[in-house]
Amino acid sequence: MAPAEEAGGEFPVGMKVLVVDDDPTCLAVLKRMLLECRYDATTCSQATRALTMLRENRRGFDVIISDVHMPDMDGFRLLELVGLEMDLPVIMMSADSRTDIVMKGIKHGACDYLIKPVRMEELKNIWQHVLRKKFNENKEHEHSGSLDDTDRTRPTNNDNEYASSVNDGADGSWKSQKKKRDKDEDDGELESGDPSTSKKPRVVWSVELHQQFVNAVNHLGIDKAVPKKILELMNVPGLTRENVASHLQKFRLYLKRIAQHHAGIANPFCPPGSSPKIGSLGGLDLQALAASGQIPPQALAALQDELLGRPTNSLVLPGRDQSALRLAAVKGNKPHGEREIAFGQPIYKCQSNAYAAFPQSSPTVGGIPPFSAWSNNKLGMADSTGTLGSMSNSQNSNIVLHELQQQPDAMLSGNLHSLDVKPSGIVMPSQSLNTFSASEGLSPNQNPLMLPSQSSGLLAAMPPSMKHEPVLATSQHSSSLLGGIDLVNQASTSQPLISTHGGNLPGLVNRNSNVVPSQGISTFQMANNPYLVSQNSVGVGSKQPHGVLKTENSDSLSRSYGYIGGGAPLMDSGLLSSQSKNTQFGLLQNQDDLTGSWSLLQNIDSYGNTIGLSHPGSSSSSFQSSNVPLGKFPDQGRGKNHGFVGKGSCIPSRFTVDEIESPNSLSHSIGSSGDIMSPDVFGFSGQM
Amino acid sequence: MAAAALREQLNALLSSMFSQGLVDEQFQQLQMLQDEGGTPGFVAEVVTLFSDDAERIIAEIATLLEQPIVNFDKVDAFVHQLKGSSASVGAQKVKFTCMQFRQFCQEKSRDGCLMALAVVRNDFYDLRNKFQTMLQLEQQIQAYDPKQQ
Repeated sequence: MAPAEEAGGEFPVGMKVLVVDDDPTCLAVLKRMLLECRYDATTCSQATRALTMLRENRRGFDVIISDVHMPDMDGFRLLELVGLEMDLPVIMMSADSRTDIVMKGIKHGACDYLIKPVRMEELKNIWQHVLRKKFNENKEHEHSGSLDDTDRTRPTNNDNEYASSVNDGADGSWKSQKKKRDKDEDDGELESGDPSTSKKPRVVWSVELHQQFVNAVNHLGIDKAVPKKILELMNVPGLTRENVASHLQKFRLYLKRIAQHHAGIANPFCPPGSSPKIGSLGGLDLQALAASGQIPPQALAALQDELLGRPTNSLVLPGRDQSALRLAAVKGNKPHGEREIAFGQPIYKCQSNAYAAFPQSSPTVGGIPPFSAWSNNKLGMADSTGTLGSMSNSQNSNIVLHELQQQPDAMLSGNLHSLDVKPSGIVMPSQSLNTFSASEGLSPNQNPLMLPSQSSGLLAAMPPSMKHEPVLATSQHSSSLLGGIDLVNQASTSQPLISTHGGNLPGLVNRNSNVVPSQGISTFQMANNPYLVSQNSVGVGSKQPHGVLKTENSDSLSRSYGYIGGGAPLMDSGLLSSQSKNTQFGLLQNQDDLTGSWSLLQNIDSYGNTIGLSHPGSSSSSFQSSNVPLGKFPDQGRGKNHGFVGKGSCIPSRFTVDEIESPNSLSHSIGSSGDIMSPDVFGFSGQM
Repeated sequence: MAAAALREQLNALLSSMFSQGLVDEQFQQLQMLQDEGGTPGFVAEVVTLFSDDAERIIAEIATLLEQPIVNFDKVDAFVHQLKGSSASVGAQKVKFTCMQFRQFCQEKSRDGCLMALAVVRNDFYDLRNKFQTMLQLEQQIQAYDPKQQ
């Protein structure tokens, strides 16, 4: 949709607005005001219902206005999820004007934050958010689209481009592709269509397809993976080089994002080198997430390390493998359609669940203690500022919670409500993408996210079981490492995070130990998912008790991650339930080497910061720290989009780091356990 | 004309509500939306929604405060809800009272909360009465001249 078209037309007249608020008075007033502005207003008093409506009809609305405090679901989580899954602009609103809450909203990716009572003048301007988002997407898309077209001529460019944080490009393409993909739900359908940049027939990257892709990339090595070779290796009829190229781009972004998450989370743990890119994880909206590809491999590694290595760190993502991360990042950026591998999304979803379980776990879990807070959210994966989770409206960052592993029970059992973790595309890029063999670190308990044998690649994160559309709005929180696994979607409860056990879900390594956001977090497999490390951060459970990561109500994880379960009740399935404990989103498990496993997940707060998951060391910490608040990590203030989101557009809080309402709480949860990461831990240090 | 007298009465009432700080400009906006937007029952609808909702919330708070161990977080959540509603309708005084109420919640002071609850209840009932009078006057005026309003 070209902004121009809309601008030229009657826009913003007739713009479709969905208002979600449990307060009937406010709903009535807003509706009237919106009608007065000549918008098309729909009201809804329940967030869960709103989410269902949105899922059923993604194009049915242009912008969402949501209250922050709602009984059935935290507004931030909804924000993350929407960002992750639908990538729509979300405006938060509340009578609460405290700066920290407002910041949390922004970190989770809200386009705007209105203080009640909302005035007409403010409503009159909301169309700008819609337009801006579309504009950015278009820009991105064209940018990336042209890349695709020129892929042939510059086959090697992909790597270069992805290596750098081409957030914008990636985002755009991600978004636009994602949008397109949404329309095309056929699984595995390949359309080699016209090469036009924006109208290319979209290939639906099913789990299987993605798995093949990841396998191919692993085989080649992330750095050497060029579309042409990947295409050859994949040997899928009908798949074009362009398809692969664009997918690769996304994947890289996803990895990057995951890396960043890790870096962010792992901050304290990971080498200071981690670049702040991760910061973008926090709260980045989906767009951002798409762009997030920025997670530097180091971040990922750092995250992984954190996740894996440090029990204290909650979500250390074994981000060792940068490339994996990148892949994951690329993939994770946007949850592809329903089944598509939501790179980050599933993570979110799972995370929340997973983390939810954590609460009980002792902090030792690698710092997952904060997860406990997240437990609210199903950590299915990892995920809305809070948000690296969250989904959203987060993604669920797939922060694989290694830590979760340890406490698998805790985490998983928690209520991972939908991890809002947005699938931050946590890819567990273990050293060699391939290393994610299931046997790695991921303990059996590991994340539920692991797609059980679905493995079809990390994408699998979105295992078909995940039935629903990837809740993990990948966009937002992609914290889910599930490289694109749409765990989030799954969150809709039905899907348990399919954690691929052992399967080699490349890329989707759901190490989320915690995250169990059942939904879909199908944790990446623990094993070879080089890319998808679903790091669903833990705990994205948004509903967690504030103690944990906390950020505002739902721990960032939950929030950020999009909700693995798809809304609070949504999630549960999958990740949490299935795997139970180990939500580790894949990544977590490998402490030692997860090259890739990023346990990031989780904690990647909506800001994309992997919270808690900081993988100590091993990975090159590309994570730049700080942004990876996978779960709800206390908002260290980073709040910004770390890395992934980059774009600046509303970042679905996937990565947003949830602000910790009580600074202590989060840090306690995280830090108290000792490991948790002090704000630095999240890798944000500084970067944010 | 009776209608004129009624109008005057209504205006006086509204004027006093504003000057006493019972309602603020948000309420004015609602009135404007009704008048200019051509949706006659709008204010009545909103005011009714608010009244019902506030009544319910106040009752819930009262129940919570009666518990042997008070869950201040829940109380705070309700107060926050009430604050949001009152802000949306323009019930300024109630809104301010809610803000103070939240303070007591933060302090976890049962006595403070009980006191604040009493004030809120009082302010709310007062406002509700005035709203009811206002609506009645409007209806009567409408009866005289349906086109007006």
